[in-house]
Amino acid sequence: MTRILLRNKLDDCIAAWQKAGFSVLAPVKRHEMSSFGEVRKADEMALDLVLTERTIKDQFFPQTEPLIKYKIGKHQIDSETMTPPEKKRVFFGVRPCDASGLAIDDPLFGWDYKDDYWFGRRENSVIVTIACSQADDFCMCTSVKLSPDSTKGADVMLRPLSDGSGWQVEAMSDRGTALVETISSLLQESSAEAAPVPQVAEKFDVEKVMEWLADKENFESQFWKDIALRCVGCGSCTFLCPTCHCFDIQDEGDTYQGIRRKNWDSCSFALFTMHTSGHNPRNTQSTRWRQRIMHKFNYYQGKFGVNSCTGCGRCTRQCPVDMGITETLQAITNLPR
Amino acid sequence: MSDPFEPKIVAFVCTYCTYAGADLAGTSRLKYAPNVRIVRLPCTGRISPMFILKALQKGADSVLVSGCHPGDCHFTSGNYHARRRWTVFRALLSFTGIPEERIRFSWISAAEGAKFAELINEITDDTRKLGPFTQYQELQKVIETQSSY
Amino acid sequence: MGIQEQYRSEAAALLSSGEVKLVIGFGAGSTADRRRPLFARTPEEAQKFVLDAACIANLSTYLVAEGLLSDGKKVGVFLKPDGIRSVNILISEAQLKPEQVVILGYAIESGKDVAALEGRNISDFSIGEKIRKLTPPPHVIEAAEKIEAMSAEERFEYWKEEFSKCIKCYACRQVCPMCYCRRCIVDVNQPQWVSTSSHTLGNFEWNLVRAFHLAGRCASCGACDRACPVNIPLRLVNYRMGKEVRSAFDYVAGENSDQKPVLASFKQDDPETFIL
Repeated sequence: MTRILLRNKLDDCIAAWQKAGFSVLAPVKRHEMSSFGEVRKADEMALDLVLTERTIKDQFFPQTEPLIKYKIGKHQIDSETMTPPEKKRVFFGVRPCDASGLAIDDPLFGWDYKDDYWFGRRENSVIVTIACSQADDFCMCTSVKLSPDSTKGADVMLRPLSDGSGWQVEAMSDRGTALVETISSLLQESSAEAAPVPQVAEKFDVEKVMEWLADKENFESQFWKDIALRCVGCGSCTFLCPTCHCFDIQDEGDTYQGIRRKNWDSCSFALFTMHTSGHNPRNTQSTRWRQRIMHKFNYYQGKFGVNSCTGCGRCTRQCPVDMGITETLQAITNLPR
Repeated sequence: MSDPFEPKIVAFVCTYCTYAGADLAGTSRLKYAPNVRIVRLPCTGRISPMFILKALQKGADSVLVSGCHPGDCHFTSGNYHARRRWTVFRALLSFTGIPEERIRFSWISAAEGAKFAELINEITDDTRKLGPFTQYQELQKVIETQSSY
Repeated sequence: MGIQEQYRSEAAALLSSGEVKLVIGFGAGSTADRRRPLFARTPEEAQKFVLDAACIANLSTYLVAEGLLSDGKKVGVFLKPDGIRSVNILISEAQLKPEQVVILGYAIESGKDVAALEGRNISDFSIGEKIRKLTPPPHVIEAAEKIEAMSAEERFEYWKEEFSKCIKCYACRQVCPMCYCRRCIVDVNQPQWVSTSSHTLGNFEWNLVRAFHLAGRCASCGACDRACPVNIPLRLVNYRMGKEVRSAFDYVAGENSDQKPVLASFKQDDPETFIL
């Protein structure tokens, strides 16, 4: 016997969470784009998507965020630090790959300096993951040692029932337990079985890839030049990635006042590493693409002991020239050793 | 009680004709609305659409772009090029919902001080009726506030 | 022999004779319905080319890639009529030397059949008349008309919603053959004309500036629209700009490679109904 939540109780569930002071965010499709957005009714949710086009990362690390408001006076500079409100949020219907992304980025944002913007939001959020019941051609979580029912990053894990009527509920953390408590009257004990998890084929051998990347001989390999030929250098793969976290600090304003902002930046852009002198250490697209792969499967691993990829497949799914991590890592796997 | 709305108008003018026209309006002691801020440029050909966007971003309620009559350009053809650019830019602004009434274009020669004064008064009155360009200014306000989460 | 085999062997011949250093075409993609750009440097690699109705990308964008043509050598490229149109525009803007481009032209007819286009050099393709008769897909016209029928406030709200989705990944710019500036205006920071932040105001400015820069230069290939990861209907703005230059100046971009860029030329009697 496990506790289950029925689909037809979702409206009550949202109401209960709102009553407990939470905003409820779920996958929504608005203006031809799917992302996480606030919902008030269950029918606003788009729970049948394989994945939202935008990741849940956006909700913790927004594409642009004001940090400091400043005024430059004759003899002094007045500044005001802007911190996000500590709003309590429930994220309902997060896919395991997106939830893992948050867990993967945690050590980065807390490494030599604790990023209050990230952790302020993390600590006030509860992640309710729903295990996948479908996968598409681009999904590759199993290749990076995750799975369609991975609980990584989840505070509450929901597993779809085989008849589609609801989900098995399991709290995974203290925050999750507390959240489940707020809806305990809406849950029921049941022996209904969970639906089988979809099969996601392994597309590359990540161990082999990591070994090849770690070999310094391969850094200047012709492989990089060939694989990145068609990359046009846009940033969509990085901006839609659940773990990419590079940002740029920009001052926006005039001579007397302005706002210092934290904006997403992308290693795909030529400008990313451009020095003031005009020298650019990564001056070709192939060196930039190499950086992206190395960062995810070598440097991040070296620093935090985990690969910075959750296998969501968005990089390939929306790439205008059909590139992406899968193809590159497949090619590395198949290189003659 | 809140202050009555005073339109902010930015005028991008060429130095050879419209600026001289504005100067003539002044020396002729013609009175015109003080709501206009004049930005003098070498030629209408130098007035990038970017200037108009920047003016709106910084809170202008209306923009005037003005230069020499066709045939009178100090640089022979700057205003002809500008005219094509405006035609297209105006269509773009209109299509994206920036009201045409807020972006005006005119030819004012160095001898047309009176036309300048009248036009500024007319634009000021019209803008007063239109009210502040809040739709655009709201976007600026949003930037200055912290995200809601 | 089907067109795919024909073009494979032609590409191989171009490469083995040394006439071109590289042929840019299509190869199989990551799924059955996808094709991806493929760069062939040897006759063997040319055997991997795929040519069918799924080859919809405009490959002319690679012709303006930094350094590609700077050695003076020739490059072969698979192009549909919209790609040929792009090449015309690029030549008229002095971004390409016509003799450096060998075109393997093809057209997709009624969405499924692929036919070869006669000719190899840009001057062989007289597409002007066809382009003049070309009408955008009905859904594009319909959507644009719907927007034009709105009030200014509604239009503003519509685009505000659309542009607020923008994440400034610049996929639209990067896939566009006309966006060849080595330093885009949005990357210029002294002064910073366009905000690099992707808040709605910054997005508004960016998208307006890009649309304006494409006015009278867009080949209507739809690459930006397809590339946009957040599904902003960029095509509509470009369509509206194309309509404007046509009605005001009787100008259609990319008709031939001799035309003078519309915003770099003028007529003394250009219309000016709106100028006071």
